[in-house]
Amino acid sequence: MQTSFLRRHAPFWASLLAGIALWEIAGRSTSQAFMVPFSETLVRLWQLIVGGDFLSQFLDSAELFLTGFVLAVVVGAPLGILLARVRVLRIGLEPYIMTLYATPMVALIPFILSLMGFGFTPKVLVVFLFAVFPVLYNTVEGARSIKPEMIEVAKSFRSDEWALWREVILPYTLPYIMTGVRQAIGRALVGMVAAEFFLSSTGLGQLIMGASQNFDTGGVFASILVIGLIGVGLMRLGLKIERHFARWRQ
Amino acid sequence: MTEAVISAAAKSGAPKPKPKAQAAAQGGTLLPRLIAGLAIAAVWEFVVRGFAPAYVAKPSTVVMAIPHVIVDPAFLAATGQTLSAVAEGLAIALVAGTFIGLAMGRSPAVERVIRHYVNGFYALPMIIVLPLFSLWFGYSGAARIATIIFAAIFSIIVNVADGARSVPAEYLEVARSFRSKRVRMTLEIVLPAATPYLLAGLRLAAGRALIGAVVAEFFLSVGGLGYFILYNSRAYHHNEAFVGVLLLAGFGVACELTVVWCTRRFLPWYRRDETAG
Repeated sequence: MQTSFLRRHAPFWASLLAGIALWEIAGRSTSQAFMVPFSETLVRLWQLIVGGDFLSQFLDSAELFLTGFVLAVVVGAPLGILLARVRVLRIGLEPYIMTLYATPMVALIPFILSLMGFGFTPKVLVVFLFAVFPVLYNTVEGARSIKPEMIEVAKSFRSDEWALWREVILPYTLPYIMTGVRQAIGRALVGMVAAEFFLSSTGLGQLIMGASQNFDTGGVFASILVIGLIGVGLMRLGLKIERHFARWRQ
Repeated sequence: MTEAVISAAAKSGAPKPKPKAQAAAQGGTLLPRLIAGLAIAAVWEFVVRGFAPAYVAKPSTVVMAIPHVIVDPAFLAATGQTLSAVAEGLAIALVAGTFIGLAMGRSPAVERVIRHYVNGFYALPMIIVLPLFSLWFGYSGAARIATIIFAAIFSIIVNVADGARSVPAEYLEVARSFRSKRVRMTLEIVLPAATPYLLAGLRLAAGRALIGAVVAEFFLSVGGLGYFILYNSRAYHHNEAFVGVLLLAGFGVACELTVVWCTRRFLPWYRRDETAG
């Protein structure tokens, strides 16, 4: 038991240590403005945490992320099912949704900035715009692929529209929605940082920007490390959610 | 005689329904799309006219702006700069990413060492590296290329590695029993087998590269479409700026369609959940 546990995890820790060593060596052998060794990054990170700056910035970012992301799911999923259910709407709107899904949403940030200014709402809008289309797109795909026979059987048992949604469409579409949710998590994170960079500077985005403007390379590395860990954690969470709901997907 | 009449009628009648049905099917998708497009444009126009300041972009003024923007040398230069940077970055990411992906997919040792780093960097919101790249490369085109490569390369690595891993073992066994060299096996068996995955990765990478380019131009103030949009929207020329957004959207869709088309045309046997990733 113990040996298999070791064997399974040893390569991970070995490669992690090797990476840290490489970072440390690279940091020590180059100029301080260019790269900071791992040890100093940790020291800087500790200073930021103790200074209290870090926690409040983190909470700011989390609030922005969650608001935009939840809005995207709450709007995207029902709208997606509705589109899949009402054929005319789907055919009519499909090319536009596809276009918006492929459009780099960042290009809209300057417009949002000059229309809505620097408040919390425009930033939520940016996160929402980044995250909503993956949810919408995947939900439509999922609800579209419901076999017509299933709906026919439900109808022939005199199922009303509400029961049809609750018993057939929603359970069938859920795994697809979750694929959209996983993609949306990644995109919302990008949207969050973009909003914090280009709209009013707050949160972790501001932490990085400030550090970069002060040539505080240690601060830049510390913030990137933290956001990287958050990103990996969220991605894991997304995959877990997706797999959990994918059990009955063929 | 009646038989002949019937068969003649059948002959002349038979081919008819097909084009009719086709036309109906086409009208069936075209009409709702047209109506939906007009409805969206109408709502947008109405809302902006009613509630927003005059400089805000609305369909009628954007359409009027198109003719003079697309002949504007500044716009053309910006388009060229952005697209060539994206093409350059994508090409580098494609070659390097394919190489790393093949190594990762075929060699368990390489896989074990770099897997967590690849996944970690892939999960990193790509624009987070901009402040760092601006420190490293300065506020220049080099930082933009670096951002594009960073944005694009990991989706290619991840997908190519997936593809290289999924090569049927029998193919490799046959090649090995004919004493094929490892390089040849990689080039002639693994790479072709991984191509569909490569295309799926490229599709994601193209979208991410485009986002990377625009964000880099915002952040670094390097000339290009992103900067064109930023500059014009700051100068309250929203209509002109929006033409840039339309072009970016068109480019994004074109990338998507090209890859889908390539997959259908050259790899018609291949079907996979293309929205994954």
